[in-house]
Amino acid sequence: MMKPSEPQRAAPECSPRRTQVAAGPRSPFRLRLRAVGFHLIALGVALTFLVPGAWVVAASLRQPGTPPPRRIEWLPNPVSWSNYTELFELLPMGRYLANSLFVAALAVPLTLVVASWAAFAMAQLPARWRYVLLGLAVALRMVPLPALWLTRFLVLSELRLIDTFAALLAPAWMGTSPFFVLIYYWSFRRLPPALIEAARLDGLGPLGIWARIAWPLARPATVAVSVLTFVHYWSDFISPLLYLKSEARYTVPVGLRVLQQLDATNWPLLMAGVVVMVLPVMVLFVFVQRAFWVGERIAGVQGN
Amino acid sequence: MPRSAVYSRLTLLAAVIMLALAGCAGSNNATDGGPSPPGGAGNSLPADRPATAEPSGAISFMIFGDTAEKAAYEQLVAAFEERHPAIDVSLIHIPGQSDYRQRLGVDFAAGTPADVVLLNYRRYAAYAARGALEPLGPYLERSTLIDQADFYQESIQPFIWEGQLMCIPQNLSSLVVYYNRDLFRAAGLSDPSADWTWEEFLAAAQALTRDTDGDGATDQYGLGTEVSIFRAAPFIWQNGGELVDNPEAPTRLALDSPAAREALQWFVDLQVRHKVVPDAVAEAAEDSESRFLNGRLGMFLNSRRGVPTYRTIERFDWDVAPLPQGKQKAGILHADAYCMPAVSENKAAIWTFIEFANAAEGQHIIAASGRTVPSLRAVAESPTFLNPGQKPANSQVFLDVIPWIRTVPIMAGWAEIEELSAEELSRAYYGQASLDEVIRATQERAQPLFTP
Amino acid sequence: MTHRRYQRSLLLLLLPFLFGVTLLVVAPAILSLGLAFTHYDGLSAPSWAGWANFQALATNQLFGIAVVNSLLFVAISVPLRTLLTFGLALLFARPRRGVGLYRAAVYLPTVVPGVAYALIWLWILNPLYGPLNLLLGSVGLPTPAWLVDPRTALAAVALAAVFQLGEGFVILLAGLQEIPDEYYETATLDGAGRLAMVRAIVLPLLTPWLLLVVLRDLIVSVQSSFTPVLLMTGGGPYYATLLVPLLIYQTAFERLRFGEGAAMTLLVFLGVGLLIALTYRLFGGWGYDEAV
Repeated sequence: MMKPSEPQRAAPECSPRRTQVAAGPRSPFRLRLRAVGFHLIALGVALTFLVPGAWVVAASLRQPGTPPPRRIEWLPNPVSWSNYTELFELLPMGRYLANSLFVAALAVPLTLVVASWAAFAMAQLPARWRYVLLGLAVALRMVPLPALWLTRFLVLSELRLIDTFAALLAPAWMGTSPFFVLIYYWSFRRLPPALIEAARLDGLGPLGIWARIAWPLARPATVAVSVLTFVHYWSDFISPLLYLKSEARYTVPVGLRVLQQLDATNWPLLMAGVVVMVLPVMVLFVFVQRAFWVGERIAGVQGN
Repeated sequence: MPRSAVYSRLTLLAAVIMLALAGCAGSNNATDGGPSPPGGAGNSLPADRPATAEPSGAISFMIFGDTAEKAAYEQLVAAFEERHPAIDVSLIHIPGQSDYRQRLGVDFAAGTPADVVLLNYRRYAAYAARGALEPLGPYLERSTLIDQADFYQESIQPFIWEGQLMCIPQNLSSLVVYYNRDLFRAAGLSDPSADWTWEEFLAAAQALTRDTDGDGATDQYGLGTEVSIFRAAPFIWQNGGELVDNPEAPTRLALDSPAAREALQWFVDLQVRHKVVPDAVAEAAEDSESRFLNGRLGMFLNSRRGVPTYRTIERFDWDVAPLPQGKQKAGILHADAYCMPAVSENKAAIWTFIEFANAAEGQHIIAASGRTVPSLRAVAESPTFLNPGQKPANSQVFLDVIPWIRTVPIMAGWAEIEELSAEELSRAYYGQASLDEVIRATQERAQPLFTP
Repeated sequence: MTHRRYQRSLLLLLLPFLFGVTLLVVAPAILSLGLAFTHYDGLSAPSWAGWANFQALATNQLFGIAVVNSLLFVAISVPLRTLLTFGLALLFARPRRGVGLYRAAVYLPTVVPGVAYALIWLWILNPLYGPLNLLLGSVGLPTPAWLVDPRTALAAVALAAVFQLGEGFVILLAGLQEIPDEYYETATLDGAGRLAMVRAIVLPLLTPWLLLVVLRDLIVSVQSSFTPVLLMTGGGPYYATLLVPLLIYQTAFERLRFGEGAAMTLLVFLGVGLLIALTYRLFGGWGYDEAV
């Protein structure tokens, strides 16, 4: 749905440059040189993004109490795992991990259902409705969340949901993020109308069509939304900060904040906490990475 | 009660908003004459129950502090539950002071504060002024277990708000100098004397500040302190200055008097001129308390609070010394108290717990952990607190300072004044602004908080 | 099932979503609007305040500082991140061997939870012991105090935020894939160089996607700047990194001035709206016909 006129308009612009650029046929040697160049640059980029991770792991393995490093350390000497054991002795980290997992495990299915139902309805409703709802979804995406902290707190407090997991789960009732609804919407818009019409004539209602046709065909979107939803709830710091009270319900992000408050410059211990928090997300990401790409690309943001 | 309180508050809120949306703008008295604010029933005495009915139920107790401090409160709760099996106490632990304040604010706003909250005397006034706390004076009067006369009056006094005792203080700590005895010996210093002066204090700090590996950067600092008006206050008083114009009815800060300014200059010079404390970069890299715990900082200013954590130190010997003396004697009170939010439901059970915690048995438990200088005279003077076999050996200094201990003004806006003055003072302390500029800015920015 | 009935029951599927939106966005937003005109401390009943909260903000030095800081933060991080994202998307757009791994590496920091991400950067930027300064020092470069120095603190926070660019990266990759290969081929036949190709073909065709990325970045800059400043600097040194969301949080939840907090909130809302509108104008609209 691009404006197709632009490339034509653009073509003449570049013709004066023709002489400046060597255009001849490319030799295999030059091609290989370019490939090497690409990989060198790409490796540099990838390292820039990955090296901090190595630093974090190295820092988490430092023996506590030893004077801080004065030069870059890739592996401390001696390697000490005691920060990890101390982490679990100092705080009920196991409990926090379990809580985080529990919240995410409930939030993901709820989000999938709410978001895909809403998206399916949006995709099927007449144009007039569709535009109103799309506008709503986009407008929701534009609302700065800090604008809602305060009064969302009052609403949840009125509903007696403060200090419950339900308060953390609440956003799942709106599909967690309007973006997730849009991902499903784009996916459902590409379903062949004839297929749905046929199912409808067979007497299937919306729920049936959603369950038998739409949902199975939107698997890439489901993978993408699942991962993003999991990451959202695993990372969520502000909801538990504002809405939780009991330590027994703390999630990992709050646990890390507690750790920082206990000793703000105990870097080995803090970095051990970081590793424990990040590891599950990393594993998940590496695991579904391929599906995630394809999913995002196809289901996610294709402009049609 | 809390449920209906929240409900009525939200109804009111909704009503105000309706009025606003309905175009009642401009009418300033929209809610005048409405129902009185919930939680403001400051004069409601505890219901007269037959003395035989043992209270029961579940209550929550919110505390701040390190894990070592938390362990002490866990012991207290365990002892209480053994004595009162019908009452179940759950502990809510928020380590950091600012997170604690935020948590408290949020909880009060939601109408669901913990049943017992530990509050510092510098911070409770904001809640007392809004009627959010149940005055505990009447409870104390009728108690058969504890008696106001058994407490140090210096710890009771700050918690009296508009003539009523609001909370029961657990301690009467004050600022002292924790010092690393091994580093003192290595620097050829003898233990500080009971009446050492600012000059001797500075000389010790200078002797302790060293570049141990000769790379040109200081590795061991002589002194460490939080940078705040609360830390600087005793030095201002010792120099004959004041924090505010009139401590009983303050109308402005008084940091601009020559005596106060001179003391602040001395405090700031510890960093700017003498470099005996970590600079901004060193402090951010590794804070002073960590440096002290790791044996790389000679003296650290703190109240009694640090003791449970410092008792875990194995690699060096340490003790406490009184603050050095200036022109006159002055120390600064650090006191926390058990407070009961007005909206709490099970007041009988809550009071039973507060009473237990502040009777001899409870105070012995907390004092044994090292956390407090007990507010009960009998416990403070007992071996539990003074036991020389337990560090710090010289605990007596906490009791010696009591006769000249002073407090910051008790006012609703004080916490905020401390907050902004800490930001300002840090600028001078780390050499980013002149002291005069900082004093001027602090005076000016604090002024609105004196007229709420 | 008749058409009418079908459509009516479609609405049922929408209900949970609409319920959630009403409860979590619409109702709070309306309450916020109302609260902004009241004095409310969360303890006693709210009272009508008229414009008093807004007048107080006009003379509130901290609010002024926070607004300027927030604008600076957006002005540094949004263009920087967009440029970097665009460059990386161009670099990794074509399928080739190993490109999947590179893309994954670029995306990885994005899935790191905010709290962990802030702590990681707090460590990396540690002025004395942090790996970044140790690295800079070892090759003889200056080692700024980053978060400790009021002059560099805000830039350091913005810099740290730049690396979480995965979402925009994916969006631009998708956009690049939409450009038919013939365009490139035609241009190559015309002898267009790389830069010329980017300018003449890629940029115009990618405009809607870039707009999407920039808008998303604008909003996210407001939302996600809270956790890093709370954990990394607490707004300091001397308010150098005090951003509006942090100030709202402190005003409402620490100082119990809910009315004033709501007033700030309302202004943030309007401010973000204004920025969005400006950006939209700058880009000359969506470039979509029927869009989404």
